[in-house]
Amino acid sequence: MIYLQLLANGIVLGGLYAAIAAGFSLVWGVLNVINILHGSFIVLGSYIAFFLYAYAGLHPFLAIVPAGIVLFALGWALQTVFINRVVTAPVLITLTLTFGLDLVLNNAMLVAFTADYRKVNLATPLPALELGSVFIPGDKLAAMVLAVALTYGLYRLLGDSNVGRAIVAVRMDREAASLMGVEVKQINAITFGIGALMAGAAGALLSIIYPISPINSTLFLGKAFVVCVLGGLGSVPGALVGGLALGLLESLGGYALGPEHSVTLSFSLLLLLLFVRPSGLLGRRGYE
Amino acid sequence: MLRKPVTRRTFSAMLGSFGATVGSVGQLSAQGADVVKIGAALPLTGPLSPEGIKQQRGYSLWADAVNAKGGIKAGGKTYKVEIIFVDYASNTPRAVQSTERLITQDNVSFILAPFGSGATKAASSVNEKYEIPMIAPSASATEIFDQKYKYIFSTLTPNNSVTEPLAEAISQNKSIKRLAILARNDLFPLAIAQEMEKSAKARGMEVVMFERYAIGVLDHSAAITQMRAANPDWVYGTGYINDLVAMRKQMADLGVKPKAISMIAGPAYKEFAQAAGPLAENVSSSAWWHPTVRYNGKDVFGSTEAFNAAWTAKYKDDADYIEASSAVCGAIIQLGIEAANSVDPKKVRDAIAKLDVETFYGKVRFGDSGQINSLEPPVFQLQGGKPVVISPKVIKQGEMKF
Repeated sequence: MIYLQLLANGIVLGGLYAAIAAGFSLVWGVLNVINILHGSFIVLGSYIAFFLYAYAGLHPFLAIVPAGIVLFALGWALQTVFINRVVTAPVLITLTLTFGLDLVLNNAMLVAFTADYRKVNLATPLPALELGSVFIPGDKLAAMVLAVALTYGLYRLLGDSNVGRAIVAVRMDREAASLMGVEVKQINAITFGIGALMAGAAGALLSIIYPISPINSTLFLGKAFVVCVLGGLGSVPGALVGGLALGLLESLGGYALGPEHSVTLSFSLLLLLLFVRPSGLLGRRGYE
Repeated sequence: MLRKPVTRRTFSAMLGSFGATVGSVGQLSAQGADVVKIGAALPLTGPLSPEGIKQQRGYSLWADAVNAKGGIKAGGKTYKVEIIFVDYASNTPRAVQSTERLITQDNVSFILAPFGSGATKAASSVNEKYEIPMIAPSASATEIFDQKYKYIFSTLTPNNSVTEPLAEAISQNKSIKRLAILARNDLFPLAIAQEMEKSAKARGMEVVMFERYAIGVLDHSAAITQMRAANPDWVYGTGYINDLVAMRKQMADLGVKPKAISMIAGPAYKEFAQAAGPLAENVSSSAWWHPTVRYNGKDVFGSTEAFNAAWTAKYKDDADYIEASSAVCGAIIQLGIEAANSVDPKKVRDAIAKLDVETFYGKVRFGDSGQINSLEPPVFQLQGGKPVVISPKVIKQGEMKF
């Protein structure tokens, strides 16, 4: 049955989209910063995984850890040095700043790695899962499970840890959190670091699925935007729901209307949702 | 202190130093060398930058070769070549603006075209308006030549000259009857896919799927699921390197295993084989030129072997068809200038239209539309990570594997 296959494709794709968008959503929701760097962070994570596999034989699934650490440090430093200075300015200012930083990072990657396409070709790929007529690629499924696990990890971090609760407090009311003794600037830097960490980890997972090149960063950024608006800003479950919704929509819609319309379809839905439910499927009013 | 009056002598010295700061052109003419200025707007950054850089490498190699030999002789003068490159960042409207700027502000006499059929078609209205010849290395879609423009020339033969030999080579396997086509919804990739549909039908094959995907799509699983349901013997995918690597990988992921896979335009570039790894094996394709062809020419390089040697000396790798095609575009301007014995753009245009000459790239002769009609494009297949030429017979290196 072709619809079961399309459903499976959509769910796998959706899990990956959730990981692409989770960090972006967190940064947007908490800091009110539209982080244009997010796509380049993902690509940088992919490169870290690629080089670790090529030169050290480290499996990209394990490269999540070093990619996450490097990106966390980079994100933390960028927030501390640059973005904290303007974080309370209108959103256009921070957008312009991250746009500029993205130009620097993306062009630095073009110089360092060139625009040539690279791809991790695993020596021993996982076998595909065959359930009747439904065919699920093993590595893609494993990457999706890890992506969902990471997203869940972020969700627990926000709910269960002191840092997480401080992040949520800053998201709800910056001034009140500050009065309660939360070091807002420090929390900002940690939040941005976690956003970058999620991007780096997602990039490591994606390195086995998509070709790697600095010029793919805008494609990832576009997906993150749509997922965030679909699911609701600043909400981790929202990223998961938005990711799954977009994955299923592209899969089923792409089949029903032809693959050339799948992108049009997702952006049409985005527009529609902005009209009827601007807070997203799971977003709460006042967070956006 | 007395103010020194500006004498005629100090004034001319000031003029001289001003001239020196303005640019290299004045200096060159002061030494008696004239310069022919050629403009090239290319996608040097952005999604099409791999292709744009290839064209820049080809154009530059030709310019270096000409200048190393002293320049182009015409009308009793010797002209050095200067190419002015502008980056249009993979943004077609900017390619058009850049072309206009090159003609009106930089005063170039000739244009080397931007990348691909789409941008070339868009820019071709500009050089036509100013009557400046444009030579295009990567444009083959009929839509460009239907315009009946006089100042556009292309070094790629019409699309059917590429699909016909490939369809012929595949159809040698009589068990291949069902073709699935997945095409990038873009001028060249879609046009060549439609041409392949005709070539396959002419050989009695059934086209069981013809789908197009949007530019910028990373995930092809919906289309490939549909492809698997259609159960094709042969898959023809069109697009550029990024698209085709993703498409090939996702075909393997979803268990689509046809007897033959052909793709264009990616397998001709070494980056495709590197990125697709073992999945590139047995992917067939066609190109307009291949480093293993052997021609002797009247151009600045003299022969394919000499061109290959010059290429490897400068870039430490082998040229692909876009790179060779770009170099021959420069050579065509040079042959046109020499034949016209002038650098006047209109006279050179007429001389290029009448060319019938051997080059390292093959015979160069243009049809009335400005498109080259004297090439026999090779078919090749990736075997062991390397392209192996299947046809035409004169340069055949191996048999098609299924």
